Amino acid sequence: MLKDIIKKEILETITSPKFVFTFLLCAVLILLSVYTGITTYRSEQKEYNAAVALNKKNLESQQSYQALAGLGPKINKPPHVLSTIASGVSEAVGRVASVNIAYDPNLVDSKYESNPVFSVFGALDLTFIVKIVLSLFAILFTYDAIVGEKERGTLKLTLSNRVPRDRLIMGKVVGGYISLLIPLIIPLILSMLILLVYPNVSLTGQDWGRLLLMFLMFFLYLSVFFTLGLLVSARTNKSSTSFLVLLFIWVVFVTIIPKVSVLAASQLNPIPSVHEITAKKDAFLQQVQGGAQKKVLDWVKENAPNAAKDQKKYQEDFKKFLEDYQNDLTSKIDENNAALERDYQARKTSQERLAINISRISPASALMFSTMSLARTGLDDHEQFLASIRAYKPSFTRWVNSRMMKSINFSTGEQGKVNLADMPLHKFEPESLSKSLARTLPDFGVMIVLIIIFFAGAYASFLKYDVR
Amino acid sequence: MLETINLTKKYEDGHLAVDHLSFKVEPGEIFCMFGANGAGKTTTINLFLNFIPPTEGTALIEGIDVTKEPLRSKDFVSFVSENVMLYGSFSAYQNLDYFTKLAGKRGLTKADYARALKSVGLQEDAFNTRSRNYSKGMRQKLGLAIAIIKDAPNILLDEPTSGLDPKSGQELLNLLVKMRDQGKSVFMSTHDIFRAKLIADRVGFMKKGRLVMLKTRKELEGEDLTELYIQYMEEREG
Ligand SMILES: Nc1ncnc2c1ncn2[C@@H]1O[C@H](COP(=O)(O)OP(=O)(O)OP(=O)(O)O)[C@@H](O)[C@H]1O
Ligand SMILES: [Mg+2]
Repeated sequence: MLKDIIKKEILETITSPKFVFTFLLCAVLILLSVYTGITTYRSEQKEYNAAVALNKKNLESQQSYQALAGLGPKINKPPHVLSTIASGVSEAVGRVASVNIAYDPNLVDSKYESNPVFSVFGALDLTFIVKIVLSLFAILFTYDAIVGEKERGTLKLTLSNRVPRDRLIMGKVVGGYISLLIPLIIPLILSMLILLVYPNVSLTGQDWGRLLLMFLMFFLYLSVFFTLGLLVSARTNKSSTSFLVLLFIWVVFVTIIPKVSVLAASQLNPIPSVHEITAKKDAFLQQVQGGAQKKVLDWVKENAPNAAKDQKKYQEDFKKFLEDYQNDLTSKIDENNAALERDYQARKTSQERLAINISRISPASALMFSTMSLARTGLDDHEQFLASIRAYKPSFTRWVNSRMMKSINFSTGEQGKVNLADMPLHKFEPESLSKSLARTLPDFGVMIVLIIIFFAGAYASFLKYDVR
Repeated sequence: MLETINLTKKYEDGHLAVDHLSFKVEPGEIFCMFGANGAGKTTTINLFLNFIPPTEGTALIEGIDVTKEPLRSKDFVSFVSENVMLYGSFSAYQNLDYFTKLAGKRGLTKADYARALKSVGLQEDAFNTRSRNYSKGMRQKLGLAIAIIKDAPNILLDEPTSGLDPKSGQELLNLLVKMRDQGKSVFMSTHDIFRAKLIADRVGFMKKGRLVMLKTRKELEGEDLTELYIQYMEEREG
């Protein structure tokens, strides 16, 4: 009997006009988004490779280490293949950072900066489609699952037979869920095939693992709305009421909670603005630079008598002094900047964490955060990348300072040619899958708890449902 | 056999819809229940099907107390509701097939379904079309076919002739007579005094939840049922 109920549920849905419409729309949207995601990724990849090559050439063509120190290497953030599924914040945050001896490196030049109109609409990635469109479909499939049968009188007719209610609701759940998944799974499999065969787009084993976890998240997310739809459908007496209630909850989950939680977090946990931090850094830089000139003059004054005695030694000493002093200064600046930055980052992170945690009660936020983490396009990834650049800066400045000093010929003032062979390189070890997964566990938890609550509610409500 | 003993239903808002109702429908008997709108006929049927719990008393199907063994009692009853919409995206065949399976009947063929649909007078070109576009009468016939194919010893009908054209109405009554002759107990709520008189073995009048008159076919011989109905409905008003 359960089988008959499931079969009927599926058959009834897939022969309905709404199914055909949903299926077509899902197929078009999913395939379109994956396709545009891939093409965007491909062009970003090209851009990235070109930028890396250009930077290298730029550095090699520098005439002196001094020039090199001022310019410094540009670090580009490589695009990530899973941004095709969940672009996360990757379009909003900077993609390139200049590392030089003076300034604290920062990632700038985001996609939205160069094309602000995109920020209005956001990315049309798969996560967005699941979050907005498919969740609406889940509601469309369930809002009248129970109340609709009551309105049509079929519930009475069904229950005039020897049909236990628990079996009926189970059949409806399973059948309804399968018919909701059909329009989702087929295009998803197709898009995975596209990812698999598309030239120059390759996913590592770990990427596939991440992708599957993201898909799992999609299913959980849709299950939340599916069970919610059943619950509301089993607690209302008119399908129009059920639909309105669901729409209201959807709006709260998808748009209101995420926005309100960001506002609430900034109220609860305010942080200084970026400008304040930059101003503090600049003030320190100026203070240090002002002192530097005097210090050099002092040294010259003090050691001038020695110059007459031994010119060569004097020059050596001066070189040594300058190198040490320069190193000392840069490390002081770095330290100060790092301290300011650390403090700022810590506070910013704690505010972000707060916002994220507040908003997590909404499954839509949980979906966004978890897929971002899994795709490595989230805030954490951005911060880790920035941190790796900041960690790289001292090793570069140390290297370039020592080169600069060694290459200057003080008697002629000539500077040696630039040789990049032993320049330290920036390295970034992206987070491992297990770490990303650990970060998304709360999101999985939220979804599962909501599903259990909604399902249990729907189940219990249906057992007592007034079928007349 | 269908039976109620002191069956009473008081809704949550205090409305007494069925008031100490006691009657029996024997096997091979058609019982027609009349009553004004809101008299409590549908409520009685809902009590039989255990869709609502009685406040007092019992409803028995084939001797089974429907509140004690609701599931088992349903094996012995078919139900034709007042206005069933059925599954719109299913054809007559598909609807029939689904409900037949729910009734626990297996192994029926398309020919069996076609026979049932023909017997209720549904036109053949509608067998395979979606029931979404059926007229009210066509849906009513399909609902009746569902009840017929279940072949339970008791049958509850809530205003089955409403919305049927005269010929179909007559055909329906003929079907009920056929069922009675097979030994089934038929309980029907209706406003159709004319036609019901032709087939009823017993007639009940319901007023404000109470059974105010109960007469057998014999007792009704020579009486004008319409007159009698109006008389009973007015009698205790004042
Ligand atoms: N859920 C409910 N809560 C309160 N009162 C109800 C409820 N359902 C029905 N009633 C009342 O119970 C009374 C009997 O209703 P019922 O539907 O049984 O009448 P009926 O005899 O079938 O009428 P009709 O001929 O119009 O179909 C009516 O007065 C109705 O208002
Ligand atoms: Mg009624």
